[in-house]
Amino acid sequence: MRPAKEKKKTSRLWLIVHSWLALPLWVLIFFVCLTGTIATVSQELVWLAKPEVRANRPAPDAVPLGYDAVLAAVEQAEPGIAVNSIARPVKSIFALDVFVTYPDGRTRSLYVNPYTGAIQGVGGVFDFRYFMRALHGWLLVPFVGATSWGWYLVSALSIPMLGSLVTGLLVYKKFWRGYLNPRLRLRNGARIFWGDFHRLAGIWSVPFIAIMAVTAGWFLIQQILADNSITVSTAGVPPVVAREDIPAGSGAKAPWISLDRAGELVREKFPDLSPDFVSLPGNAFSHIVVGGRGAYPLIFETANVNPYNGKVEWTRRVSDRSALELVTESMRPLHTGDFAGLWLKLVYFVFGLLLTMMVFSGMMIWLKRTAQATAKLVRDVRAERAAPSVGRAREAAE
Amino acid sequence: MSTAKVKTNPHAGLPGGRHRWRFHLSVLLLIIPIALAPKFLREEALFFGDSGLGQRELGEMAIGPWHVSVAEYMADAPIDQGLAGHMKTFAIRWNTEDAAHIKASYFKVGKPRSLRAAGVVLSGAPYRQMADVPIPQRARPDDALWLTVEGWDGTVHQVAIPLNEASPATIAWLKQRGEAQ
Repeated sequence: MRPAKEKKKTSRLWLIVHSWLALPLWVLIFFVCLTGTIATVSQELVWLAKPEVRANRPAPDAVPLGYDAVLAAVEQAEPGIAVNSIARPVKSIFALDVFVTYPDGRTRSLYVNPYTGAIQGVGGVFDFRYFMRALHGWLLVPFVGATSWGWYLVSALSIPMLGSLVTGLLVYKKFWRGYLNPRLRLRNGARIFWGDFHRLAGIWSVPFIAIMAVTAGWFLIQQILADNSITVSTAGVPPVVAREDIPAGSGAKAPWISLDRAGELVREKFPDLSPDFVSLPGNAFSHIVVGGRGAYPLIFETANVNPYNGKVEWTRRVSDRSALELVTESMRPLHTGDFAGLWLKLVYFVFGLLLTMMVFSGMMIWLKRTAQATAKLVRDVRAERAAPSVGRAREAAE
Repeated sequence: MSTAKVKTNPHAGLPGGRHRWRFHLSVLLLIIPIALAPKFLREEALFFGDSGLGQRELGEMAIGPWHVSVAEYMADAPIDQGLAGHMKTFAIRWNTEDAAHIKASYFKVGKPRSLRAAGVVLSGAPYRQMADVPIPQRARPDDALWLTVEGWDGTVHQVAIPLNEASPATIAWLKQRGEAQ
């Protein structure tokens, strides 16, 4: 055992480190935590605000349409429109997201009813979800190529966050006692309240803060790697459709196999892959891409189907990835919590709020403590001036 | 004398002191997203095609029997894409009546020697196709951006757009690079 005095000294050092880690940037960290918390449930917020993004079931026994029926319905409703992709959101309460290009060159998301194929609404240029993501992830700093300094600024906050977590647990002596004897004193003044809150929220958020700090740290590493042209990807360049496979032109576009057929062909080969989205070929040499979540929910799997002969020519499945990629590609879903459904998003939202409040309460503790220290200093000076009554004056003040 | 002086300052090392307001200065960092919001919205409008095909539209041009609009997506210098070299993004839009006849379109800086070497193939819906076009090491300011088009009828057509028309920013960048070398 170390001597108590030395122990106290190191614990004090950790308190100093803990205080300096986040405080100088507290407003930015608070902002990033808050926007991240909102971003987690931004899709649900849009669902609440806009009835057209909901998947309203016309009858209790209605069944969802296949991709071909959706495509036909959209093309019939908007003649001349070009459909780029159709996505079925993870949660069945959401309408299909059909990404289209109009003949005038504008691109849009259409909200399409999965049961009737009716276009319920058109997404605008301002996309709340993307805006929150951009605000949280890179403070709207534009990307030049694949780099945004805003991305660096935000992801670098993972360092003080991880540091705060570790030093916080070192400062909080026997923190595990807090699990059994939770303490949140409401009536003993602001300093006591924010201190109790900070500790209580902190110990219950340990896993969440660790996930956020580690995944955000990965975003920083990922960007550094990308900017130095280093990749951990084993994917290689996706193949193009061989020129020989494209039927010789008779003046008109060679027909593609149907989207439902492409989905069936992928399912025949990989029964556990649920075709959650399908993207149409972007040119004569590109594939129909069918993708979705497989048995491991964190990673999206895709299969490229030759649109002329139906061969599944390329896959990116869990089994196609290296162990390292399974870890690195799990980082983003772990950060956003979008892989299991509404319940997990709500869990992320609650812990996101707690984390945001951790930043605020930490600042409040500091504010109250320094305020008290100033008050004490003033008191001491006054007391010294009235030297004979020092003892009584202190008693009275305390 | 008094015990208060002998006691070590309990706040030594901790943030605080006379300039506590300094610890709220990070609020100024929020100017970043506020200041950049208009640019963000402009780039979104560009992405969704609401502000046209690109920042610099080159207008409609005839290529064989068909008509195509061409645009420089962003009017900036080529972007360094690491191992892939420097890239410029160009966009095209086919006329509705021609769209179904086009099998593939390609962009290349410098005249392609054959169809197999026509450059990068454009991708996307026929009303908005884009490609990141590599700017070769040996590219010169008097080069041209070549658009090669293959029809489903088997015919191939080409059009050359002088680089000073296609992208003045690239010309400036090439000149600068030439001087540096």
